[in-house]
Amino acid sequence: MWAITKKELKNYFLSPIGYVYIGIFLIACSLFFYLDIFQYLETDFSYMFGSSVTVLTFIVPLLTMRMFAEERKNGTEQLLLTSPKSITQIVLGKFLAAVVVVLISALLTLMHYAILAYFGKPDLATSLLSILGFSLLSISYVSFGMFASSITENQIIAGVISIGFFLISWFLPSIVTNASTFSLMYAFYGSFMNGTISIANTVLLISFTVMFIIFTIITLQKRKYVK
Amino acid sequence: MVEVNSVTKKYGKFKAVDDISFSVKDHEIMGFLGPNGAGKSTTMNMITGYIEPTSGKIIVNGYDISKSPKKAKIQIGYMPENVPLYNDLTVREFINYMAELKNVKRKERKDEVNKVIEETGLQDVQKKLIKKISRGYKQRVSMAGALVGNPDILILDEPTVGLDPKQITEIRSLIKKLGKSHTIILSSHILSEVSQICEKVIIINKGKILAIDTPENLEKQAQVENSIIITVEDKNKKMDTIGKKISDINSIELIKDNDDGTKQYLIVAKKESDIRKKLFEILPKEDITIFELKQSETTLEDAFLKVINSKEAEIKKEEKTNKKAKAEGKDEKKEEKDNTKTEAKQKAEAKTKVETKSNAKTETKPKANANSKTQTKPKAETKAKKQTVAKSKTDTKTNATKATKTSKKSTQKGGNK
Repeated sequence: MWAITKKELKNYFLSPIGYVYIGIFLIACSLFFYLDIFQYLETDFSYMFGSSVTVLTFIVPLLTMRMFAEERKNGTEQLLLTSPKSITQIVLGKFLAAVVVVLISALLTLMHYAILAYFGKPDLATSLLSILGFSLLSISYVSFGMFASSITENQIIAGVISIGFFLISWFLPSIVTNASTFSLMYAFYGSFMNGTISIANTVLLISFTVMFIIFTIITLQKRKYVK
Repeated sequence: MVEVNSVTKKYGKFKAVDDISFSVKDHEIMGFLGPNGAGKSTTMNMITGYIEPTSGKIIVNGYDISKSPKKAKIQIGYMPENVPLYNDLTVREFINYMAELKNVKRKERKDEVNKVIEETGLQDVQKKLIKKISRGYKQRVSMAGALVGNPDILILDEPTVGLDPKQITEIRSLIKKLGKSHTIILSSHILSEVSQICEKVIIINKGKILAIDTPENLEKQAQVENSIIITVEDKNKKMDTIGKKISDINSIELIKDNDDGTKQYLIVAKKESDIRKKLFEILPKEDITIFELKQSETTLEDAFLKVINSKEAEIKKEEKTNKKAKAEGKDEKKEEKDNTKTEAKQKAEAKTKVETKSNAKTETKPKANANSKTQTKPKAETKAKKQTVAKSKTDTKTNATKATKTSKKSTQKGGNK
């Protein structure tokens, strides 16, 4: 499993994808940091995430769309699937690599916290909590993105499916009020943003992640029979 | 040791691989031969566990690939068709990654990678990115990926496609060398390659195994006719009468009328007889001058085409009878009688067809090739079992006749040896 994670990480940072992801994310964070916090002279660090969460919709698919689609298109999945590694190991290996990238970018926002701490007195606990919530949300996005990548051999389609799903999860609650209970983004807004941990929302995010990891494994296992 | 037991792979209604069985012994090089779309790659993908057979069992060194995939897969080094590689890695990184995937221990990994790089002659390019190296090198990198971790069984899907002649000979000699310590299954549609490298050949077409034998035997089987190409100067046009004078001659055919007055003929004679001596004796008496005389050689190519053509004709015949049976099928008893009649007819027809095709009018000797007999018979039997009850009466007949036909054929083959 680690072999796969290691190779995937190498891939993220040898190709521009990893840098592009972190770069766009940090630029967006800085922008919202300026607009939401500096402009209003706020000291609530989580405000920054309130807006930058929307960026995830567009950049996580960038990271995940190639995961399985590219391997399938190039035929390299043959190498993976005929190796003694199990499908679970392969999926988890790839998932972990993307999670590492996402976590790096989330942790880099501590930089903004440091700037804020220099000028004012933000609450450390709530700030860390918002970073935690943000990380959980990104990870669940990665999980769905990975699933989307596993069902097609076209990276673009995988990306579009992910973006579409994230957009729905973003806008649906404003149309159907009940949907907010299930929306990932609202799970994040609902608790982590205001400095609380809601068990329901944490469970929602984690179970969503696990669910799509399992879906990915099943998809790949099933393909053995159809292929 | 790889055992494939009545494996079938269906895509919807289409059978990519249809009930094939064979086994490859330890340290044997087995060649898979067949036209495009014959099911070679599908079979290989099933052996490596990349795809799952619809039915049947594949056992690799004692481990069932479907039930204990990890243990089975670690025995196999696979070089897929079209050499898929990670273009963003260097050659060395790629081989190292493959070693990691195959659970080569950290301590041994460096040595193992070095060994494989040396074996495949990749020292010069080991630090280059894979996307920057040539096709021939890519092929070798893929081969190195299969070799790393020293698996017992190597499965190579068209290992020499797209290489230049020098590289081809290099790869071939490498495969031969590896064959001493590994079990190798390789596929190819280049016949000369298979006959050079492999100890055993499986000819496969449309998902069915048509023949399993050594390349030498297959070549012999194709050599049903004993044909001679002769160039003569025949002033009195007596060449046509030669056939009557030498009783072993089956046919004489003009192939080429040369400008210099000489003519080239193809003479087909009975298989056991060598008519060259007689030709040299008799032709001068008839005022025919011999310019050139040579025995035409059969190659694996002929064997291949022959096997494929004859089996195709057989299958078509079978389909026809089945259709007929269905169309007519109301009164079962009557139909059964009719069928046996028509089948007997068709059997005779098919036989004569095959024979006339190959010009083989040899008597079937009772001496049988034990191998091919045991291979064909049980297959026909299992097939017969699978038929549904409603159809069983007519269909088992078809299969039974087929079985006798094939076994007779193999008798013939045995006789040829």
